[in-house]
Amino acid sequence: MLIRARRHHSLVIGSVMLAMVILMALLSPLIAPYDPALQDLENRFSPPFWSEGGSTEHILGTDNLGRDILSRIMWGSQTSLIIGLLTVVMSGVIGSALGIAAGYFGGRLDMIVTFLVTVRLSLPVVLVALVVVAVLGNSLSLMIAAIGLLLWDRFAIVSRSVTRQLATREYIIAARCFGSSSARVLIRELLPNLYGPLLVVASLEMANAVLLEASLSFLGLGVQPPQVSWGLMVAEAKSQLLFRPWVLAIPSVALIWLVLSINLVGDALRDITTPEGRA
Amino acid sequence: MLTYFLRRLLLTAAVLFATSIIAFLLVHLTADPASTMAGEGASASDLEVIRETYGFNRPLYVQYTAWLLDLLQGDFGRSYYLRRDVSEILAERIPVTVTLGVSALCFSIVVSLTLGVCAALRPNSIIDRFALWLAVAGQALPSFLVAIGLMYVFGVYMRLLPISGVSDWTGYILPVVALGYYSTPSLMRLTRAGMLEALQSDHVRTARAYGLSPWRVTIRHALRHAILPVVSVAAVELGFMLGGSIIVESVFSLKGLGYLAWESIQRADIQVIQSILLLVAASYAVLTLCADLLNAALDPRVRH
Repeated sequence: MLIRARRHHSLVIGSVMLAMVILMALLSPLIAPYDPALQDLENRFSPPFWSEGGSTEHILGTDNLGRDILSRIMWGSQTSLIIGLLTVVMSGVIGSALGIAAGYFGGRLDMIVTFLVTVRLSLPVVLVALVVVAVLGNSLSLMIAAIGLLLWDRFAIVSRSVTRQLATREYIIAARCFGSSSARVLIRELLPNLYGPLLVVASLEMANAVLLEASLSFLGLGVQPPQVSWGLMVAEAKSQLLFRPWVLAIPSVALIWLVLSINLVGDALRDITTPEGRA
Repeated sequence: MLTYFLRRLLLTAAVLFATSIIAFLLVHLTADPASTMAGEGASASDLEVIRETYGFNRPLYVQYTAWLLDLLQGDFGRSYYLRRDVSEILAERIPVTVTLGVSALCFSIVVSLTLGVCAALRPNSIIDRFALWLAVAGQALPSFLVAIGLMYVFGVYMRLLPISGVSDWTGYILPVVALGYYSTPSLMRLTRAGMLEALQSDHVRTARAYGLSPWRVTIRHALRHAILPVVSVAAVELGFMLGGSIIVESVFSLKGLGYLAWESIQRADIQVIQSILLLVAASYAVLTLCADLLNAALDPRVRH
């Protein structure tokens, strides 16, 4: 009962929150009131419209260079979502391919893949990402490639263990007896069973990717101006914490909102795809 | 047990070898050491001289082998920027990071165990729901936000704790919380799940049937079994913390490995970056090895 209630609650709340961010990202070129890089040095640090000194000209206020915060939040959602989705797709494909191959064919291939996963796990992700991005430059596609090549480990682990469990099931053996090729067996029998667990892993890794991008941008080695990133907004606002807290608080809320929604959806998915009876 | 140990040791050595190759390639393929050392405005002949002197014109595998051999003798190279031996610099910075990491792990374990056990003892109660809600909230907070938030609330607003540097032990409090909170949700969930299972198991029921006090039953019988996965995950989390301390260290200006890594990346100080990458990877590999050995010692089924 509690499980079902949690499942429904989290899924609904999480999906709504996530949908709001996605909508904001898709519509930002149309509905953002200002250009996010437009500086207005006369109007620096104007507070949000609900505090004194604020106006409805800049609903959420302006930052240290007079750029409208609301527009920057809207455009920043594009950065976070693009990076989150594309890195997950990339690492998902890499990880699942490795994991399925390892789980299905076993033997040497399995040893190699397990070794690769162990090596990847021992590399400190943030440091490696920093080194790559710092030296090779921080174009968006480079960041996506770098993060995508770093976050595939859980995909590989999960798909490998599920494939190993299923590979010994009777219907797989039966399909092979009928003469189905390996490829056919993989696609028709294994993949449908993998969607659930992999979707759960995907949501987890998407949250990781968003956080990683925000952390990199926070450290100054991620997305660069004039591109907008919520992590970058936090970094720029850090020094103004005491006197102009909204410049820091607003992108922070945005980040937490996005990651929380992804986590809620992921948790709900995990509850749904797990058989009943486990806490 | 011995064969398992040897096998795992061999695997760890292989992993470290592969990691060293990756660390070396990552740094040497992406940056040109000669131009970073020479700085801007260096002429081509200057670059050539530098390459001759430091041996950058040798083929990569020769440079790698030289580095590896030096490494095995304890020579981590010299920092181009700081003009000191890397091993010296590392030795200065390691204590801060290790203190930070271990304390953060202890903090995380204490909080997760307490919450997990309490939640498991009264499932579906307020404390259970609070613990689970805390877990969800905790996983959504980026570490730099927590670090800044803590700094603001406790350091600036309430003036309770120092916000940068480590003049005494109080300087560690905020960074420890900022670093440790992220593993707390997963450890707590693990404890809770393990405890729930253990509390329903036969031997705990037997203990209760013997009339042992609830306290004894919970701690000595149920917790002992629930704690196994927590211990191995905790060892792994320590590895993550050592690698992920970079954000907390830079926000609180702690002179640890993470901060050094960040500074070195900005200065393209190649030898330092390589060494830190390898050091962190090595500690992670060793910690995972210890976790596996601990698991194998406590649970014979693992050793096949």
